[in-house]
Amino acid sequence: MGAFRLMPFTRVHQNVREYEVFARKARVDSLRQVGSVVAPDDDLARAYARATYDEERWIEMVIVPKESMISLWAPGEDEP
Amino acid sequence: MEASNSARLDTLLKRGELIESMSEMTPDYLKELKHTLIVSGDTELISAPAYYLAAKKAPSVNAFMTGIAIIQDELAHAHIAYHILEELGESQEYLIFKRDPKDFRYPYAFDVPLESWTELVTANALYDQAGFNLLGDIHEQCSYGPWKRGLVKVMAEENFHLRNGRNWMKRISQAGGAAKDELQQAVDWMFPLTVEWFGLPDNLKQHSAQLDYRLKGLTNDQLRQAWLSTVVPFLDSIGINAPAHQEGNAWVLNYPFPSTFDADDKRWDFNDPCTWDDVLSRWRARGPRNAEMVALFQESFHKFQVRA
Ligand SMILES: [Fe+2]
Ligand SMILES: [Fe+2]
Repeated sequence: MGAFRLMPFTRVHQNVREYEVFARKARVDSLRQVGSVVAPDDDLARAYARATYDEERWIEMVIVPKESMISLWAPGEDEP
Repeated sequence: MEASNSARLDTLLKRGELIESMSEMTPDYLKELKHTLIVSGDTELISAPAYYLAAKKAPSVNAFMTGIAIIQDELAHAHIAYHILEELGESQEYLIFKRDPKDFRYPYAFDVPLESWTELVTANALYDQAGFNLLGDIHEQCSYGPWKRGLVKVMAEENFHLRNGRNWMKRISQAGGAAKDELQQAVDWMFPLTVEWFGLPDNLKQHSAQLDYRLKGLTNDQLRQAWLSTVVPFLDSIGINAPAHQEGNAWVLNYPFPSTFDADDKRWDFNDPCTWDDVLSRWRARGPRNAEMVALFQESFHKFQVRA
C-alpha cells in the first residue's frame, strides 16, 4: 500500500489520453463512432475499449487518439 | 447575440434537428441538459454498488458472473453520461469522487438495500424496466445528438438486464413454496418504489422544461403508464400479484398513491396515505444505503490520492 500512495491518481488528467472508439458489425457497414475511453497508454486503451463496448459482436474495432483527429468543420461552428 | 442564439435554438428544435455543440445552446438549455444527464449518470453509477452488494448472494458462480456483467454494463452507462457532462464543462472527477453522498440525484429506490438474489433479479425486472422506459424515451426523442447516439449501446444492454431479471423471476416463481413467497415479498415493496420513480403526477407538475427542449418526449404519467403496461401483465403471467389493474386503456393502482414507506422494514403502509411533500422530504433525506454505496466507489479514490 505504501508505494501506491506515491502514485498520482490520473484517470482524467495530464498523464492520460482520450481515444475515440470506432466499430462496425458487418462487412457492408462502414466504421462508426461508438464511444470513447480514457487511458494512460494505447494498450490499456485497447483493453478498455474491448471491455466497455462489448454490446455487439463487432467484426472490426479501431481506436484513435482524440488529438489525432483533425476537424475541418462541425455543426454549430461557422460554415467552412 | 443572446437573443439570436435563442431564436436559432428554437428553429433547430422546431425543425426536429439535433443540437450538436455548446455554441448552439442557450444557458437554460445547457442547464436542463446537464441536470437530465446528472440524474441519468448518477442512477447508472449507483446501480453498480447496489447490484454488487446483492450479487454476492448469487446461487452459483454462473449467476454471479451474469450479475457482474450487468454491473460492468452499468458502469459503462454511467461513463457515457459523465463523459458528455465533461465535454459540457463539468468535472467528472468532482461528480463521481468528490460529491457528498446526499448530493447524488438517483431514485430513492436504490437507497433501500437489495439483500438477496431474489431482490436483485426483481430489481433487474422492475428497476431496469423503469430505466428502459426512461432512457428509451430519451433515445427516441432527445434533441442532444451525442447523448441520443450514446444511448444505442445502453438500450441494447438494458434489454438484456431486464430479460435476465424476468427469466430468473419466472424460475423462482415456478419453484413455488418459500422461494415464491420471497419473490412476492420482494415485489410487494419494490413495485410501489418503482411506481414512485417516475416522479410527481402530471397534475402536480405544471411545466417541464425537459419537454420544451425535447430532452425527453413523454410526461411522468405517460412513462409510469408505459412501465405498468409491461410489468403488470408480466407479473400476472408468472403468478405473482401486482398491486394494479387495467381500466380501459389506463393502468390503475390498487393503493393510495403516494403512501408511507418504512425503509428499515421494507414495508408500505397503504392505510396511511401521505402527501407528495412527505415523499419529497423522504427522498431528500436519502435512504439507508446511500452513504455506504457512495463510499464503495469513492473510498479508493481518496486512498490513492497523492498528498500535496
Ligand atoms: Fe444502465
Ligand atoms: Fe441496467
